[in-house]
Amino acid sequence: MAKKILVIVLCGILVISSFVGCGNTKNTSDESTVQSSTQSSAAAASETKAVAPVELSFLENSANGGQEETLKTMIADFNTKNPNIKIKYEIVAYKDYYTKLNTLLSAGKAAPDIFEVGYENFGQYAAKGMIKDLTALAASDKNINTKNMKKLAYDAFKYDGKQYGMCTDYTGVVMFYNKDLFDSKSVAYPTASWTWKDELEAAQKLTDTAKGIWGTVAPLQTYEFYKTIAQNGGSFWSADGKNVTINNKESVEALQWMLDKSNKYKVQPSFTSDIYTQPDADVKAFIDGKIAMFRTGNWQFGNFEKNVKFKWDIALEPGNTSKGHHFFANGLVVSKDAKNGDAAWVFLKYMSTDVFATNQRIEKGWNVPVLNNEEIMSVYYKKTPPESKKVVTDILDSLVLPPLGAVPDKWSEVSKIVGDELDKAKFGKATAQEALDAAKIKLEELIK
Amino acid sequence: MILNKRARVNKICVQIILLATSFLMIFPLLWMFLGAFKNNNEVIQMPPTLLPSSVNFDNFKTISELFPIGRFLFNSVFVAVIATLLQVLFCAMAAYAFAKIKFKGREIVFTIFLVTMMIPSQLTMITLYRIFVGLGISNSYLGLILPGTYNALGIFLMRQHMSTLSDSFIEAALVDGSTQFRIFWRIILPLCKPALATVGILGFMSAWNTFLWPLIIISDTNLSTLPLGLSKIQGRWTTEWNLLMAGDVISTIPILIVYLFTQKYFIKSLAHSGVKG
Repeated sequence: MAKKILVIVLCGILVISSFVGCGNTKNTSDESTVQSSTQSSAAAASETKAVAPVELSFLENSANGGQEETLKTMIADFNTKNPNIKIKYEIVAYKDYYTKLNTLLSAGKAAPDIFEVGYENFGQYAAKGMIKDLTALAASDKNINTKNMKKLAYDAFKYDGKQYGMCTDYTGVVMFYNKDLFDSKSVAYPTASWTWKDELEAAQKLTDTAKGIWGTVAPLQTYEFYKTIAQNGGSFWSADGKNVTINNKESVEALQWMLDKSNKYKVQPSFTSDIYTQPDADVKAFIDGKIAMFRTGNWQFGNFEKNVKFKWDIALEPGNTSKGHHFFANGLVVSKDAKNGDAAWVFLKYMSTDVFATNQRIEKGWNVPVLNNEEIMSVYYKKTPPESKKVVTDILDSLVLPPLGAVPDKWSEVSKIVGDELDKAKFGKATAQEALDAAKIKLEELIK
Repeated sequence: MILNKRARVNKICVQIILLATSFLMIFPLLWMFLGAFKNNNEVIQMPPTLLPSSVNFDNFKTISELFPIGRFLFNSVFVAVIATLLQVLFCAMAAYAFAKIKFKGREIVFTIFLVTMMIPSQLTMITLYRIFVGLGISNSYLGLILPGTYNALGIFLMRQHMSTLSDSFIEAALVDGSTQFRIFWRIILPLCKPALATVGILGFMSAWNTFLWPLIIISDTNLSTLPLGLSKIQGRWTTEWNLLMAGDVISTIPILIVYLFTQKYFIKSLAHSGVKG
């Protein structure tokens, strides 16, 4: 009986405290709207006179998990600059995003007018003709200066030579390192000219089994793999996408290197250890000072700034025969049945290139804008830590795009096939060669 | 005396096994409750710690600042209660017709109902969604509630129960000039309490836990149910596990309370139907 009462009382407290919380949320959101309207610059204000009043629905996922207010501020600013275009947005958690998006799209008229897609998923919507070809709109728009955007990012959302979307932002994977650990063993910090060999030598000096300190940690999954084989000159497909080259010498060597760091050189934890198998255990280990070099994405900046007690920085990843980096690019596309393509275009342009929107992304530490404007980007670089923040945009010079090959609509299958085979190699069920041979056979079946 | 001793040893063994099993069952739940009070670093600590270093409600405060939790809770309770009540009513009415009213093609219609149990709900999702959009009730309470008001399993359970009731009640009432609805309402329903409880509990549980349908049909945060609203705690790259667990605690407590009060019926209903949720 006592237990029952306790549970009921606890529940009561929760309910009451949540109502209190409710009030708080309202207050902060009101503030942010006021803020945004006062801050709004008149950069692109005159744009929408031609557009009739319209309401557009917008589905996205990347603001989920902490940036909801940032998106709200940006949209409020857009609405002041473009009073005729009302954006009704909805944020869905990433893991459920494509389930919802695909259901909505399948139901035709309920599809969102504008939605967010990752670069690797964008191809399938373009291939199936579910999104609007924006080439003509882009060509007739005198206000847009595509030179303002990083070419690579802008071109990423081309399919069959046509512009199907606008890249808004990206997140990049780089090498984080613990400066204090490097100092304590008098090892020189990583530089842009580092190769795998340099990484290995440093890692061997930095690994301290007695203290549980690991020289290096890199995940082993499809994304990490396609980038690492590119660092050794390997690739999934031949240049025309007709042949599978995933089991070439270069790729096998690269996979062997990824495995050897754990199994042979022991500078990296075993793939069966907690660091690899438990959620966020690698991040926690870095924060605890147990990892000297750690490959992860710039989404950890905020977390590390708050929780890391030692000096840390980022560097370009070491390559073997060439440099290679990967990113996750997000873009906005317009559904083929969108109510008003012109208005949608204005919004896409705002999200990618508007000065206020871009500054919001930087200021709130959301993601990296794709603007090719040194003035704005210097604000981003100056927001430290990490000191070498420019590395995040430097990766674009050696970027390896997801290997969509000739089957851009089948990335999820490709990714799964390779991921499954990598797991076999990771857990000792197959050698590097065997795993990639098996992947080749399955990929060949897929593109037949 | 010896026999007595052996019986006691047996009993102790059984108790130990039961205790160990119940610990296995309870541990994940316990882990969640304790995790809800840890901070972000503590919760992913390796090796893990069982007890939080300090007991405070920071996590609950944070999520109630991030999300309109009170609103989610209200939506969940409202939707689950209404859907359950309607489901119990509709199932009972359909079951009465199938069990006690003779009409042509009754068995065939009933079989068709049963067949729908074999179709996974994911399969009908898109069709259902298109119908709801066509009716103009997407993104509304009605859209949330309606699919939960019908359940072939419920009809089946009720019908089986009603078939065991004697027809002479109905015949007597008919002779006295009662209508079919009056018979159903005044005579049959009061005799079906155990079956009503079974269908009600199963219905409430599934209405409370359903996630996929609200995800598809709801686009307004103010109409989100708890599972849908709380799914947004988890980001693409980073997850604050402590907040996630605090959110799970909030959505578990109401169902736990329902369970505490209906425990007796619940166990009976499991024995009765042989299914869970």
